[in-house]
Amino acid sequence: MVQTEAAMEAYNAYWANAPLPSAGVLYMVLILIIAILALWQARTFISKF
Amino acid sequence: MDLQALKTQEHKRRVKIGFMWAFFCAILWGLWYIPGTVVWVLNPFDAMYGEIAATSGDGVSLIVTAVLITAFNALTVILALLVWNGVLGKFGEMKRTLKEFHPCSRWFFLAAIFGGPMAILGSFIAMGFVGGAFAAVAALMYPVVGSTLASKWYGEKITKRAYTGIAFIIAGGFTIFGGGVLTEIGSGSVSWIGYLGGLMAAAGWGIEGAIAGKGLDISEPDVSLTIRFIAENIIWWIIIIPLLAIVGFPMFKYAILAFEPLTLLTLIFAGITFGFCYVAWYKSFPLIGVGRGQGIGNLYGLFAVIFIFLFFGDVPSWTILVGGTLCLAGSSIMFLEDTGELESLRGD
Repeated sequence: MVQTEAAMEAYNAYWANAPLPSAGVLYMVLILIIAILALWQARTFISKF
Repeated sequence: MDLQALKTQEHKRRVKIGFMWAFFCAILWGLWYIPGTVVWVLNPFDAMYGEIAATSGDGVSLIVTAVLITAFNALTVILALLVWNGVLGKFGEMKRTLKEFHPCSRWFFLAAIFGGPMAILGSFIAMGFVGGAFAAVAALMYPVVGSTLASKWYGEKITKRAYTGIAFIIAGGFTIFGGGVLTEIGSGSVSWIGYLGGLMAAAGWGIEGAIAGKGLDISEPDVSLTIRFIAENIIWWIIIIPLLAIVGFPMFKYAILAFEPLTLLTLIFAGITFGFCYVAWYKSFPLIGVGRGQGIGNLYGLFAVIFIFLFFGDVPSWTILVGGTLCLAGSSIMFLEDTGELESLRGD
């Protein structure tokens, strides 16, 4: 189902007042960084114990 | 260095790692609210909500749409966990644990029933029939249920200091969402089913933690959690969604329509945060106990407020700052506890 104009407007409105630039993309980058960090810690944990 | 000193050092390291996992859980859980919120305005969920609301009312529509979103969330969590287990080389262990249903997997199938339909559905019922703030506060109560059950069932040692820390974090959560709760309850038209939903959320997650704590005695967390989500997917996709479709809701029509790039991308990020936060939650239990793991995990309320400010620009009020301070005080009380107290997590 293609996004309607109203849906995209509501989606973009979420990021409109964010203090961070490109918040709609930045949150994905932050999730990836923390997820990779967690995976790296999990691997370290396995090798230590 | 003598053997006792080495043992103490090793123990301290384990406790620190346990708290680290609980913090990872809180951060990722807080981050989950970003994709978890925006997915509601995207199609097909927006259109689905509108269609069902027109015939069955807003409350029912919210719950039915939430079921489909939660089912997709569980599906993307499995994808995230497959990556997690793949990177950690745990597929062999997964096969072994799945085969051992009676001693191992049954605990995680049971955990899925309490954590999935009971807690998540309860949370959405609370959200739909009372409000979002009430749902958040109700969920914050789950460490009380979890730690009490773990203590009574298999004698998990919960020190006075740990109880104090949990109490501080819950008080912080109440302060953060308290204003909203009073407004929602004060509106006067709250249905009892909303409060039942709140109770389901607190009891469901608390019971899940205690059951997981028991199951984790004989299996390891990465694999256990994946099995728990396989069970949750079975519950949503093989039982609940077909049942709702039989009743007459357009479940399969909108499930197929969800394969849209932006919706899928948002669901995938929801899956990564939810899956990784849950696996961190499970990893903390054998290291610091269910009570502490859930208590520190409760900091998600504070992190959610921080991330909602950073990404949505919703400025937090002074009550949130006071609540945040209480949450930090609570986690510090637990974190700074003498690790000697945690040498044995059980009362023996």
